[in-house]
Amino acid sequence: MKFAPVALSLALLACAPPDYPVPEQSPSFENFPTRSVHVVDFGLPGADAYIVRDIIPGSDPSWRWTFQRPAVKQRIGVRRDLTYVADFTVARETFQVTGPVTIAFTVNGRLLDRVRYDSPGAHHFQKSVPSDWLQPHQDAIVGAEIDKVWISKADGARLGFIVSRIGLVGK
Amino acid sequence: MIHAWTALFAAAMVVAACWSAGVLLVSRCGAKLDRAESIPLQFLTGACAFQLVLFAILAARIAYKPVLLAVCAAVIGAGIGQYRRPAGRFPEKHWTLFLLLAIFAVFSVVVFINAWAPETSADGSGYHLEIVAHYLRARGFQGLPTNMYSALGQGIELLYVPSVAFGGFSSAALVHFAFWIALAWLIFAYGLRLGKPWAGAAAALLVSLSPVAARDGSTAYIDVATAAVVFAVFYWLEVWDGSRDGRLLLPIGLLGGYAYAAKYTAAVILLYALAFVGFRARRLRPALTVAALAALVIAPWMLKDWIYFHNPVAPFADEIFPNPYIHPAVEQQWAESLRRYGLPKLASLPVQVTVRGDYTQGIVGPVFLLSPLALLALRRSAGRRLLAAGSLLLAAYFGNIGARFLIPALPFFALGIALAIENRWLLTGLAAAHAVLSWPSILPRYANRYVWRIDDVPWKAALRLTPEDEYLRRKIGDWAVLEMIHRIPPGESVFAAGAIGSVAYSKREIIDRFRSAYGNTLWDILNTGWAVETDPARLLVFRFPPGPVSRIRLLQTGRAQNYQQWSVHELRFFHQGAEIARRRSWRLRAWPNPFEVQLAFDNSQATRWRTWQTAAPGMYVDVDFGRAERIDEVRMETSPDSPSSLQFRVEKFEQGRWIALTGACQELPNRVRNGLRRAATYELYRRGVHYLAVGDQDFGAADYNDDPQEWGLEPAGRVPGATLYRILP
Repeated sequence: MKFAPVALSLALLACAPPDYPVPEQSPSFENFPTRSVHVVDFGLPGADAYIVRDIIPGSDPSWRWTFQRPAVKQRIGVRRDLTYVADFTVARETFQVTGPVTIAFTVNGRLLDRVRYDSPGAHHFQKSVPSDWLQPHQDAIVGAEIDKVWISKADGARLGFIVSRIGLVGK
Repeated sequence: MIHAWTALFAAAMVVAACWSAGVLLVSRCGAKLDRAESIPLQFLTGACAFQLVLFAILAARIAYKPVLLAVCAAVIGAGIGQYRRPAGRFPEKHWTLFLLLAIFAVFSVVVFINAWAPETSADGSGYHLEIVAHYLRARGFQGLPTNMYSALGQGIELLYVPSVAFGGFSSAALVHFAFWIALAWLIFAYGLRLGKPWAGAAAALLVSLSPVAARDGSTAYIDVATAAVVFAVFYWLEVWDGSRDGRLLLPIGLLGGYAYAAKYTAAVILLYALAFVGFRARRLRPALTVAALAALVIAPWMLKDWIYFHNPVAPFADEIFPNPYIHPAVEQQWAESLRRYGLPKLASLPVQVTVRGDYTQGIVGPVFLLSPLALLALRRSAGRRLLAAGSLLLAAYFGNIGARFLIPALPFFALGIALAIENRWLLTGLAAAHAVLSWPSILPRYANRYVWRIDDVPWKAALRLTPEDEYLRRKIGDWAVLEMIHRIPPGESVFAAGAIGSVAYSKREIIDRFRSAYGNTLWDILNTGWAVETDPARLLVFRFPPGPVSRIRLLQTGRAQNYQQWSVHELRFFHQGAEIARRRSWRLRAWPNPFEVQLAFDNSQATRWRTWQTAAPGMYVDVDFGRAERIDEVRMETSPDSPSSLQFRVEKFEQGRWIALTGACQELPNRVRNGLRRAATYELYRRGVHYLAVGDQDFGAADYNDDPQEWGLEPAGRVPGATLYRILP
């Protein structure tokens, strides 16, 4: 019964769906000048697919809660002159408990910078990544680590900060 | 100011032509009608006949203004010559009837002024009139494969063709307003026929003042007109039942077919008509006569869809009638969304569709919560017939729970309620209360404030004292986007990443992502350029002992959840690690969606063949090499959104049957080539689409905006909320 529509449609096409020749072959854009990587924007659909660890998928349409060591992965193309960019928020509620926090920003496990944040609210981080840290056509792991986490009394969750965008962008 | 009068003139011309055609037709039916019922019945029956004439004109591609004018004039002339004033049947004169008439008159003015103002309704200026304008440009029928709505029956829209030709879009809304009047009139006339004028008058008000019906009747939609046609079928059945004159089967059959041509779901009234005629006559022949007459009206529409969409019932049943124009998955998801509108619980539908309208895009009015009262009308034969027809239409309503899809059922339930109440004072009070609750300024006090309704009386715009452009700019949210698109060269088309409203006003072709298989595919290509779920990151490798193969296929044998599709970005064949070079002479086949199989063989990672229906066992991609090739490996590039539950078998065709080569495969990460974004826009350009319109909230908007150069895009215009890009060659 389930295959009745398929059977009927096949019958209607007299068991011979139309055939086609091989079409014109599209050119390769392998060497097209691209920056090849785009920041992971959690306001965009599909962003959760880039999560490697410690980011809670789908927590909000435009941002995500992190745990202590959030990271995303990005595929690197041919360009290696890239900048680490992060837009994130230290929540007022967690800050009241943790006080000032320090966040280490890493690329492929290597420390790019360590920044102390003395106030809650929205912050922006941006810094060039040494080109020899990145390999063309490889995934890069773009991460961060917060030194103090807020621990939920309800379920023991260890929340870090709120991230909106994180990743590498062309200069 | 001249536009206001031409709109009025053109609408009056079409209404007069419909009525005249009706006079000619009805005079041959031997119907004994009184004055109150004859005019609306002549108008509605004539509308059916006149649309058949218009169908012929459009099919012949001679829809020039002089032709349309001559036809209208000829029909009107013939009709007037044939007109004989019937005798009147007047109800007892009582002030309550005049009160109801006065209420109706006030609402009529409001609805009329809204109809007369420049057309801005979502679907009216969105697609009903887009199709009409398309036909007028082509002087007749011409396929519009980028808009699946153009496959729906257009029995009402055809009447808009001459009115738009002479009076512009608002003229179409005025024609629809005439149907609004005709519907109310006919319901009242039915009350008179039953000897219950208050029931008729109250029911007429319950239906016509219903917020969604009043709004609908003031636009170039078709729902009120459909309701009028449906009720006319019922009415003619009642007339026939009184005399059993076989000639009366003519309007019944034609209008029954017209209901289908107006709106597919309204065709249930034809089932009622067939059952009613068969049952009452106790013979098959009258029912067959009705069916044959209905087929006369239905067949041209089916034929048109067969020619333009390869599917006689397009845009539905695309799995049964596969075609390159509409993807079954999109059709099915669309139909499913219409059945729910995001409504969390179906149990809340009665309140939603009558009072709140949070999900149903309109309300019919709280008074229809009294519909169960109509059951009391079952004690009368008229009540039983009304409720039988109403129940059928109500059942069809669940195919689309938008409030306006309930309008065709309203006359039956309104009359049922009125017959149940019967008392003239109660009926007058009920109708008056309904009028108060339906008044535009009262409505937001209980309904969702954004519910689809009449919200002002734009008399200055109607008289064009407010310039039309100024009014349209204020009322149409996407007007600035349309103006931006008008700046691209004539003949160019634009792909819209989101929905653009009021495209009937567009002077350029706008292809959107939803309304056609073509648009779906363009959208899929663009998404593959940047979205991680759709990029070809998975490589499935099938190895088997080398040997000569002249025809090979990849057969899918696994199951998937609803709407999960199998997709193939590229399918390649190898021997000892070297790819078999593709030759033009290969013959490619696929099932389902054979029409897009080339997307798996075009050397572009940005394009992919998809099943466009839920992946199921038996689906395949088949290549006939035309000669024996030595092959030991098949590689399929696919994406993460292709479900992992799918299973495959490679088979070769030998001696008239398929022989399995292997069912095992190894999955590897696939290298996604650099420049996928540019590859995507290249594919659009190659298909003749040179512009891309992106709203700021559209899927992917940030990515395009982030680095247009990487996409091969060049900003070509910007208005608040949207950007127009030119795709570089």
